[in-house]
Amino acid sequence: MESGNSKPVILETRQIVKQFPRVLANNNINIHLRQGEILCLLGENGAGKSTLMNMLYGLYKPTSGSILLKGREVEFHSPKDAIRLGLGMVHQHFMLVDTLTVTENIILGTEPGTAGVINYHKAREDVVALSKKYKLDIDADAKIETLSVGLQQRVEILKALYRRAEILILDEPTAVLTPQEVEELFLVMRELVRSNVSIIIITHKLEEAKAISDRVYVLRRGNLVGERITTKTNKQELANLMVGRDVILRVHKVEKKPGTEPVFSVKNLDVKNDKGFMAVSGLNLEIKPGEIVGIAGVDGNGQSELAEAILGLRKGEAGTIFFKGEEISLLPTKKRIARQISYVPADRHKYGLVLPMKISENLVIGYHDKKPFCGSINLNYQEIDRHSRFLVSQFDIRTSGIAYPAETLSGGNQQKLIIAREFSRDPEFLLISQPTRGVDVGAIEYIHNRILEMRSRDVAILLISLELEEIFSLSDRILVIYEGKIVKEFIPEDTTDKEVGFYMTGGKE
Amino acid sequence: MNRKTLLVSLTLVSLVSGIIGTVLYLASYFWGLLLILGGAGIFLFSRFLRDKTEAVELLKKSGKSLLIPVAGIILAVLAGGIIMLLTGYDPVRAYKAFFLGGFVRNWHVSVLNATPLIFTGLSIAFAFKAGLFNIGAEGQYYVGTMAATFLGIRMGLPPLLSIPLIFLISGLISAAYNLFPAFLKVRTGAHEVITTMMFAHIARYLSPIFIRAMGGDPATSPHAYVTYPILEGNKLPIFRSFLPLANYRLHVGIILAILMALFVYYILYYTKYGFEIRAVGQNPNAARAQGISIGRNIFRALLFAGFLAGLSGTNQVLGLTHKMFENLDAGYGWNGISVALLASNNPIGVIFTSLLWGALDAGGQFMSRTTQTPNSIVEIIKGIILFLIVARYMYTYIGNRLKRKRGSGPVGREKV
Repeated sequence: MESGNSKPVILETRQIVKQFPRVLANNNINIHLRQGEILCLLGENGAGKSTLMNMLYGLYKPTSGSILLKGREVEFHSPKDAIRLGLGMVHQHFMLVDTLTVTENIILGTEPGTAGVINYHKAREDVVALSKKYKLDIDADAKIETLSVGLQQRVEILKALYRRAEILILDEPTAVLTPQEVEELFLVMRELVRSNVSIIIITHKLEEAKAISDRVYVLRRGNLVGERITTKTNKQELANLMVGRDVILRVHKVEKKPGTEPVFSVKNLDVKNDKGFMAVSGLNLEIKPGEIVGIAGVDGNGQSELAEAILGLRKGEAGTIFFKGEEISLLPTKKRIARQISYVPADRHKYGLVLPMKISENLVIGYHDKKPFCGSINLNYQEIDRHSRFLVSQFDIRTSGIAYPAETLSGGNQQKLIIAREFSRDPEFLLISQPTRGVDVGAIEYIHNRILEMRSRDVAILLISLELEEIFSLSDRILVIYEGKIVKEFIPEDTTDKEVGFYMTGGKE
Repeated sequence: MNRKTLLVSLTLVSLVSGIIGTVLYLASYFWGLLLILGGAGIFLFSRFLRDKTEAVELLKKSGKSLLIPVAGIILAVLAGGIIMLLTGYDPVRAYKAFFLGGFVRNWHVSVLNATPLIFTGLSIAFAFKAGLFNIGAEGQYYVGTMAATFLGIRMGLPPLLSIPLIFLISGLISAAYNLFPAFLKVRTGAHEVITTMMFAHIARYLSPIFIRAMGGDPATSPHAYVTYPILEGNKLPIFRSFLPLANYRLHVGIILAILMALFVYYILYYTKYGFEIRAVGQNPNAARAQGISIGRNIFRALLFAGFLAGLSGTNQVLGLTHKMFENLDAGYGWNGISVALLASNNPIGVIFTSLLWGALDAGGQFMSRTTQTPNSIVEIIKGIILFLIVARYMYTYIGNRLKRKRGSGPVGREKV
């Protein structure tokens, strides 16, 4: 398939196979990258994208097949070889030392100078020059810890360029960025391509594949299932390729009048964050039964503090929280849960699951001391197992058995486990934070439908999400949060993501 | 129906022969081992009758979990042999004596050594399950010893009432000794390793003062300072009272220790308290988000750990020493850390690792007495065993390296 780009092929894989002990992670993958193009590798979690890139970067060795760089067959024994030959990789988790400056981080490992004495002056000049050349706009003397996530990512890119990378591999680069930062990253990427750097971007987000790439390869379960010129395809086609069946991208939301009396409300809530600053101040909201209220905002504007205050995990400084007419602001978490408030936390590993414990134990935790799972002190494993098996089949959690630890589940199934636990408790108020973070398209569809099902059962739902698309497709009302305050309220049908984004970043009328 | 009765009766038979065999074996009746093995055989057989695949799975699983410890012990013994060879001792002769002493001749000493270790090992393992390191079990042991001595001398109730009461009260006092560290942990986040350790020193050096305050006749002991003996009725029964061939010092404390291990296992895996403690230990954030109070579980875990370590001291006084003398080097608390680690904090495992530790000590003494091989070789072997087993992640690492060499890449835990 030919794109408009007819520049020479710079990197190529031929019949790459990667066999893990029980999984065929890559099966005969043939891809090529042309000079100066942005290539997107699209696929669900576990499709084999990262495995392929890790082989290109020398982290894994292919079981069979070959890698050709500029037409010459190469073999990488470690990332060092790959770097030497002009490859650079920016990982999802940055490899930076927080307390060092940008320059120090960039030269780390390849310090210029003689006989162990670093020539800082030259290093700094090189970094400044590079930053200018690619319009990265980075302060070479800033300490990493003072930089935003987006800027830190640029430091990583700069680090690769400093090592003379001609091919840049970006692994899920937008996962940690705000919408604005994503835009900026895309500008940087275009600038890089203009200077003849070639880029491979790994993602499972269709939006991004569409927005930035020239060409897309779609992987599914270790197989290359499609190659498309980005301009000649659409999101629906890509999604179907990724999942292997027809996916409904927009959930079907039925018209529904919410109840009249709010079941849950927050009045003038103030909450401090860990550093002692006011993260939520004077926040008000109300949710009626059968209504989904979406909180849109850039990460770090008080969303997690709000969620924790609602659950009683963090003390509010002032204000009240009402649930079914009762003030619950002073109740401990346990009592709030007992009043059928359910919570799907944003960070499932940290707050959602006890990973080393059994799947069945994770399905009952929180209600583990209630009948029928527990007598006066004895756990009733028969009942716990019966209930767990029921939920596993009800919520289509793919396990090899409920007695296995939760850490053996894939990310999507871990999320389904949490959803199963929380949704099966017949909640009247549901707090859902980032329900589809790091979850693949098939599971997203499933989770969204489950959330709408709760809505049709007259549950009041508060949805906190950093994905505007998710907010738009699920919410009945959108509240925009900025610096701990609700700054604007919208009805999704009467607004656009641009407008919401404007208020999310502190825009004023 | 008929099949069911058969299964139940088989299980019962295996259980009874296992229990009787264990008691006999611990009392140095070695044919008790045959009963234990027979019971285990019958048990396996009944499992096979019920569900073949499940039984095979069980066997495989237990075999796998035994692999590393057994390999570690063998390697350590080999290393000890090499050291003996290099330093001019005869490893074959030494090991013969060592084995004979530890597992046959002085088996009762091994059992006596193991008894307090089981309690302290349980104490540390239990706290570990809650993510806490009760490094001060040594201190709680001394508190238990002092409380038991005091009550043992003063409390003259009928034995059936008195002994359980002394156990209970001494245990509770030791538990209370952990109250302050627990409080500090919950309130200020002060690390229990520091606080319980400091408290351990306090209790340990309080004991000589306590002994002097209690007063006693130095002529009754080789130690300079001793207390009066506890009342006759407060002594734990000895095996010899029902098994005439048992050693006269061997008391039923080991049975209590084993029962306690079963009880701790039960609490951890079959009650809501254990559930919460395990959840808090493995992910306090998630536990809290589900309404489980972290502070309350820290209290529960540390207090119960203190209780268990206190029972260790009580058991020692009521069963073996019958008085308290100045002995600052008992080290049951410190050794409890080793046996707990060795058992990966499994309460049932603690029974076996304690017996192993006890046998190593008993065998070492016998070895040095009969072959003049220095006892320190045993400490070296202990160290190597601990290193090889606790550093078990090493094996995964080596395994991965080997696989990588062969070109099949690192192997993580596979996702389903």
